Amino acid sequence: MTAEFRLRQAWTIARLQLRRVFFSKRSSWVYLLALFPSVPFFGHAIEVKLSQSRYASRVTAAAILESIREGDTDEEVLKTAGEPVHERKFRRGPRGEASVEYRNLIYFDGERRWFLHFEAGILQNKRSRPLIDFEDDRKVFAGVFQYFYLRLAVFFGCLGIFMNLFRGEILDKTLHFWFLAPARREVLLAGKYLAGLIAATLIFATGAALSFGLMLWPQDAVELSAFWRAQGPEHLFWYATAAAAGCVGYGSLFLAAGLLVRNPVVPAIVILFWEGINGILPAALQKFSVLYYVQSLAPIPPPMDANAPALIQLLMSPADPPSTVAAVCGLLAVTALVLWIASRSVQRIEINYGTD
Amino acid sequence: MAVYKRGYTRYQGALTGHWARFFVLPRFAWRRLLEQRLVVILLVAATFWPLLCAGFIYVSNHADLLLGFDQKMSAFLRIDSRFFVIFMNAQSVFAILLSAFAGPSLIAPDLANGALSLYFSRPISRVEYVLARLLVLLGMLSLVTWVPGVLLFFMQSAMAGWSWFASNWQLGVGVFFGFLLWILLVSLVAMASSAYVRWRIVAGALVLGVFFVLAGAAELTNAVLRVEWASAFNPGRAMNQIWCAMLGADPIPGPNATFCFIVVSIMAALLLFVLNRKLRPVEVVS
Repeated sequence: MTAEFRLRQAWTIARLQLRRVFFSKRSSWVYLLALFPSVPFFGHAIEVKLSQSRYASRVTAAAILESIREGDTDEEVLKTAGEPVHERKFRRGPRGEASVEYRNLIYFDGERRWFLHFEAGILQNKRSRPLIDFEDDRKVFAGVFQYFYLRLAVFFGCLGIFMNLFRGEILDKTLHFWFLAPARREVLLAGKYLAGLIAATLIFATGAALSFGLMLWPQDAVELSAFWRAQGPEHLFWYATAAAAGCVGYGSLFLAAGLLVRNPVVPAIVILFWEGINGILPAALQKFSVLYYVQSLAPIPPPMDANAPALIQLLMSPADPPSTVAAVCGLLAVTALVLWIASRSVQRIEINYGTD
Repeated sequence: MAVYKRGYTRYQGALTGHWARFFVLPRFAWRRLLEQRLVVILLVAATFWPLLCAGFIYVSNHADLLLGFDQKMSAFLRIDSRFFVIFMNAQSVFAILLSAFAGPSLIAPDLANGALSLYFSRPISRVEYVLARLLVLLGMLSLVTWVPGVLLFFMQSAMAGWSWFASNWQLGVGVFFGFLLWILLVSLVAMASSAYVRWRIVAGALVLGVFFVLAGAAELTNAVLRVEWASAFNPGRAMNQIWCAMLGADPIPGPNATFCFIVVSIMAALLLFVLNRKLRPVEVVS
């Protein structure tokens, strides 16, 4: 038996398994997890596009809006700035007492929205926000990618895909068919891992790329073309690579867990907890997690959650991120170690369909 | 003439009462759950935080210990609505973990092994079956939620005196009903997951996934759309707002308690719909 023959066997197993991973009904929620972040980005893009077309006919000069001061009356503001793009009036007050009239006006200066808040006809608060802010959107995408995509979507997606490769067969009482095939068990493991990896990488890398594309869609054409010429393709590549690297790391962990543990909830909780507290662990311990290597591949570091409790913010001490080469090598080393443990386990496995 | 003849007469003996029949399912389920090591470990682990809180109440009620402290420290040691909301938030995590272990084994095996027809051939309706299963989780989760919560409330009342109880009785009521609402939601998620995937161990992972992914998805939506209303779809955050309103604590910025309650009710209705769809004594296999 040559290595080439075993590779061909592994590829045959992977091909058979791929169909089941991609098209089974059980995989539908994995697609949902991967594609969900695209939905809010799509909604944001539509909102920006609609607002741009709706406000275009009622632009007020920025100088006029800047000249408005707190303490001005609503009538004065309407006289100087003209008709707002949006207006809302309401009355509110403590029960049994006279209610106060509130008025909110929104103006648009071509780039920014100005929010004016009046109480009893007097301007109490004036603030402005750009209709769309590319820098801010990129930071939001970085946060979404690091906190939702890597920590939750890829994590639970890989849990579903890779646990299913062996544990699913045991639950379906079909694992013995694979074991009866004239292939070594390590080859079976390699074939199944390859299938899971191809499926997870394609699904999550595509999901990340789609969300990135939808984040870019409503941006200003000039800013966008400058970004696309400078860092755009590089950012897209690294986001997709980080998603794929997450699949490599978590995939091996959950494949091994599916062989070693009967109940996936236990390793899921343990790994989720370990990855969750990763940021507050000492630097040496942070290196024993998938997240440490994967998040260093992302082009923008995760923004700190301003709403996090003070104690957590105090304890947060991210270890120095590894270089790209070190991150890839570290991740591959961890994956190889876990797969070796899994291959030892699959050699000893005895089928007991039991009462799962 | 028949070569074999056997006649039947209707059972004429005493019948068990309706409620006795109803409690058969929870009785057996509780016994089976308490045989699981992980469930017992979680139940024990869930007592640590209430014990710490009990210690906190003891310290806060001993004025002689507080004499040297400044006003900030005294305010920190005050037992008020904020203390109970923090306690509830911590214990609610244990309720999720416990439901992920205990919940899936309630319905999935019955569905996977086609046992529902056996249940429903006895004098038990679909609603009673669901209620009986719900009662299993209600009993189990009560041990880590409202039971320690109410005990802490009574401990504080006993130590602080009647005047404290008279002015803060709504905290005890809030803890009880707030936790009851949380138990109901968590139990419905566990039961619907169990009925939906039919695999006990996958259902456990799904329960965890529902709570963590919904929380992440809600925060993601808030961040991308620059809104706050999406927090209502994060079960933990929505329940926190409801608890703050029930206990009279300052809510965290975000959607108000009424909106959160409506969203939680919609979630519960959807979960009931899933249960109703999946729990059928017969099914046509295509």
